[in-house]
Amino acid sequence: MIDQVVVHSEIALNDFLPIFVSSALVLVFGGVYVGIYTAVKVKLLKPWTMSIAYLFWLLTAYCLYVMGSLMHVDAFTAKALVIAAIGLFLLPFAVYYMQHRVHEENEH
Amino acid sequence: MANNHLTSESKQLATWYFTFAAILFGAQLLFGLVAAIQYVMPGFLYGLLDFSIARILHINALVVWMVFAMFGSVYWLLPDETGIETIGIKIGKLIYWVFVAAIVVVVLVYLFIQVGPADPTTIWFITEGREYIEAPRWADWGIVVVALTFVANLFLTGMKGNRSGIVTVLMADMIAFAGLYLAGMFFTDNITVDQYWWWWVIHLWVEATWEVFVGSIAAYGLITMIGAHRKVVEMWLWIEVAMLFGSGILGLGHHYFWIGTPEYWWEIGALFSALEPLPLVAMFIHVLYDWGKTQGGQDERGENKSVITNKPAFTWFVLNAFGNFLGAGIWGFFHTLPQVNLYTHGTQFTSAHGHLAFFGAYATILVGMMYIAVQGTNGIKVMKHTKASLWAVSMITGGVVGMTVALTIAGYVQVLVSRAQMGATWAAYFDGQSGVWFTQAMDWRLIMGAITFLGFVFLAKDLLTTGKNPVHER
Repeated sequence: MIDQVVVHSEIALNDFLPIFVSSALVLVFGGVYVGIYTAVKVKLLKPWTMSIAYLFWLLTAYCLYVMGSLMHVDAFTAKALVIAAIGLFLLPFAVYYMQHRVHEENEH
Repeated sequence: MANNHLTSESKQLATWYFTFAAILFGAQLLFGLVAAIQYVMPGFLYGLLDFSIARILHINALVVWMVFAMFGSVYWLLPDETGIETIGIKIGKLIYWVFVAAIVVVVLVYLFIQVGPADPTTIWFITEGREYIEAPRWADWGIVVVALTFVANLFLTGMKGNRSGIVTVLMADMIAFAGLYLAGMFFTDNITVDQYWWWWVIHLWVEATWEVFVGSIAAYGLITMIGAHRKVVEMWLWIEVAMLFGSGILGLGHHYFWIGTPEYWWEIGALFSALEPLPLVAMFIHVLYDWGKTQGGQDERGENKSVITNKPAFTWFVLNAFGNFLGAGIWGFFHTLPQVNLYTHGTQFTSAHGHLAFFGAYATILVGMMYIAVQGTNGIKVMKHTKASLWAVSMITGGVVGMTVALTIAGYVQVLVSRAQMGATWAAYFDGQSGVWFTQAMDWRLIMGAITFLGFVFLAKDLLTTGKNPVHER
């Protein structure tokens, strides 16, 4: 018998496709977010496009919400998904900051 | 591969490793093609080379060619990174031939003996029967000796020469890589316990030690091919190591959902699986950042010239960043949480993920390393694409992506029919595979597999001939 804490509700037949699409889009949108962020920072794109990057992060968070809701995740997994969304938001800031500091220390 | 421009025996040994890796890559695709035909025409080679044997050869050749190419990559970069010849290179060369001979014998046994009695002689001399690492026990011990020699070469050289960040990470990573193999070498009477340890090898290789290896090779490649700043690249490598080990080790939990392990693995697997894509996204930033900074710096100086010194290798490296993100990231993430994995586990979804992840995360960068070796071997300053290299990269990538899409469709049918509608019964298993969507998906998988194999023919031709092509700058 599967523990009801983790898998407590069956997935509706019509929900499988939205689950797979939304979970794939989590990383597609997440990738676009960090891609635009990094491209703006290294001056491959104009600064105003940063707002588009944030829009993609919002889409990422929304897809995580849709995916989790349709899967009927438990409270623990829901928290894990929120942490993942926040982690994805902060990731390019942290990585770029560290990359940039190392670059400056070694070039100036 | 001509060797008149090679500056060290270590690099020569690397070309040997790459050559045998390429041969095994071809064998992997060939036996994959046989297995794909058998899905469509079940009677094909029945009694001569059954699906079970073709599959063993397909997936074990995959692992072994990648291990060969990884060893080759390390032997290639060691003299560059440490500034000295690899210590114990003579033994390294001897061990190479032992390794090749052992693999040839194992393959011949798979082909001509195939199965044995249900007693320990089969485990010792034919196959141990664990997916991906099915070598018989005598070969297991041989592999341990080979791996120890390789690790000794790496450690002795790293300790005596200049120990760069890349070499330091490789030293730590390779000892874990070799050590984890031991977890797949013993049997217990309990299948749950057996699988528990087997996953240590498979998961902790492909989602921890191999990914760190890829990070190290990407760092070396970025320095070699676009002149990226070493300090920046190496600092980034340490971040990757922390992130990959941080999420990858306990991501192991997603393999423990349904094998009889305690239920707390569901929570552990869910949490760390949710975090596992983050380093893959970060690796994507890494390549973009380094290329953007290096190319941007050159553009600012008014030098209207590409910073890339090896176009084919760089193409494969960029494919690695995308492929890792797509295959390991996206195709892994959408069936990694236990709530949905309950339905997808063991369907063609797993196969789709396996095909794109192994290709995207590992095959791409290892083929890139082969091009770097061809460049160095032939004394080429700037290596350009040829028609064959473009055909190869297009057909192999297109073929693998096509196979992945086909297998995803097949997996989706299995999830809906075999699992959700019919409740994972014995009859459901067969009903799921008899539907038109499933059978057509398997037809397309075969077509795309054939395209991949054709792409490999172009790749082999290019690797063998491009060194002498006058299109490159010398």
